[in-house]
Amino acid sequence: MRYGFLDEDAKKEIRRATLKAIAIPGYQVSFASRELPIARGWGTGGLQVTLAIINEEDCLKVIDQGCDGSVNAVNIRNFIVSVTDNQTTLDTVCADIIQSRHRIPEEPMREGQTLVLQVPYPEVLTNVEADSYKQKVMHANSDYAKLWVLLYEDTAQFGDSRIGHRYPVMVHDRYAMDPSPIPKYDTKKLNNNKALILLGAGREKKIYAIPPYTKVEPLKFEDREFKVESFANKKCARCGASGVFMDEVHTNEGEVKFYCNDTAYCDKQLEKGAR
Amino acid sequence: MGFVAIKGGEEAIKNSLAFYEEEINLNQKIDAFAIENSLRYGVDKVISEGSLYSKKLSAQAILKAGGDLLNASFFLRAHRSSCARAGIAKTIHTDEMRVVRRISSAFKDIKGGQILGPSGDYEVKLILTKTIDKTVWDDYKNDDIFVESALKPLRDANMIKTLPKDEHISDITRVFPSAPYPRSAVMQIMARGESGSMLAFAYTSMRGYGDVHPTIGDLRLGRSEVKFTHPFTKNEVKIGEIDITACEAAATFEKQSDGSTKLTTGFGCCFGFNETKAISMSILDTTLYNKSHTIGQGGIADNFEMIVHHIDGIESQGFTNHYKLPHYVTFQADLQVYENAKKYLSIGEKK
Repeated sequence: MRYGFLDEDAKKEIRRATLKAIAIPGYQVSFASRELPIARGWGTGGLQVTLAIINEEDCLKVIDQGCDGSVNAVNIRNFIVSVTDNQTTLDTVCADIIQSRHRIPEEPMREGQTLVLQVPYPEVLTNVEADSYKQKVMHANSDYAKLWVLLYEDTAQFGDSRIGHRYPVMVHDRYAMDPSPIPKYDTKKLNNNKALILLGAGREKKIYAIPPYTKVEPLKFEDREFKVESFANKKCARCGASGVFMDEVHTNEGEVKFYCNDTAYCDKQLEKGAR
Repeated sequence: MGFVAIKGGEEAIKNSLAFYEEEINLNQKIDAFAIENSLRYGVDKVISEGSLYSKKLSAQAILKAGGDLLNASFFLRAHRSSCARAGIAKTIHTDEMRVVRRISSAFKDIKGGQILGPSGDYEVKLILTKTIDKTVWDDYKNDDIFVESALKPLRDANMIKTLPKDEHISDITRVFPSAPYPRSAVMQIMARGESGSMLAFAYTSMRGYGDVHPTIGDLRLGRSEVKFTHPFTKNEVKIGEIDITACEAAATFEKQSDGSTKLTTGFGCCFGFNETKAISMSILDTTLYNKSHTIGQGGIADNFEMIVHHIDGIESQGFTNHYKLPHYVTFQADLQVYENAKKYLSIGEKK
């Protein structure tokens, strides 16, 4: 098996698409997208990006829904290690490349790090315009009227957008972009992030990027607040942390408990507390 | 590396996989060779949808997948990503294939004759009472049969609409096209599409969401030579033979831009013996490229976006199954939005 599984032509193509994506923040670059031994829809976009950019010195972290130990994260991590033999970590700070599904880590990322997000629906316009040719024209003209109408209709009926996760963002005042299914709590972290954020959609064959220090704002009306998930007054039942994204867990006894969603962050808090 | 945060995922996968292998290894008396030789329609479906012509690997994949053919195709697709591409073979002309079966429902008598070949079409599907008929065919010939398409006389008489040829032949495994889609790319996507999905889309156009009533002009099963330009000697060499199924469907007539009236046709072709898939593909080809002859609303099978993005089995299967992955973060976020909306609406009602 060659280093990084993919043949060299595939890696070259993915790297070129990635470079183009970085040069045009928020713009979706098409790529051929190879099939991997991991199923489509299970992170093959992110995986292809990771396999194309990783080198021998990189330390890797893989998370799924905030957790390093969930089955899909373990599966992807094991696969990458089996074809690269790279070092892995659970620590956000130590990682060079973090591949993630549905979350951005709690701990702030730094310069030189790369966050690879797995994307199911790269096209932010897909809910308002199904035709991919028309979508392309709309992006070219920066014509996001239909997204605004959707936002208006939701606000008029429900007081706010009905979009819970995968909230549309404007990248550098130019392209509307789907940030992958992260909660709104994480949307704000995209703005001016010090790390390079790469987004890969395998099934839909698109790569896009948010370079470090890029302006990223949620699509919202001026006079409306962007409401993120709130876990006010909640404390992690394990490490005692507050003000982070939490998992709500219903115990067998009918009790409701809250835990840090980011398990690596939770471990770190616990260690700090023990010292 | 500390393992504090690992929630048993690693161990769980290992155990689950062991359980799964135990579950499907109950049939360990079957070997891949037996599958290749007696479950050929399964093997052929997998090479076609897996987009890799290797009956041997296909049989192994079927074993590994416990008979789940979609999963077996997925094994082949994954394998082909680790292989470098050698180049593009010469175009195969289906008129030049050695046929084992060739029929036309458009004509009673055709040049070359109706060759029924191997077919279970007229088999009475009774599962229990099966007697083996040992008829000896006296006049069975072992000669190679080459016949031209049954639609050739119509084509020669300039009665059939032709579409412009792509100047550049796409390779969807290297560049996936964006709309408007080149015809060569559309045909490739269909050639490796999932048989059942294509059948369903083709059926919509026959049944109620379109008006294609095709006649099978020429359906053929057989072997074709694959020729390739040798990278060093530059000579054309035969690198092997492949089983293929090809179908030409004839549909309705249509007024052309030059004022003439011509018959429309569609073409379907895939690896292996898979008549249903080739027929479905020929119907989809017809609906996609001849959509203006109907009155009323657009259909489903005449929409490029619909066909191009929804017939790949590896993709649709993978994505459908990904819903088994945990979604608690996104669901948590959705629930909070729901709670907020509920609150907002109940305040409105009180007013």
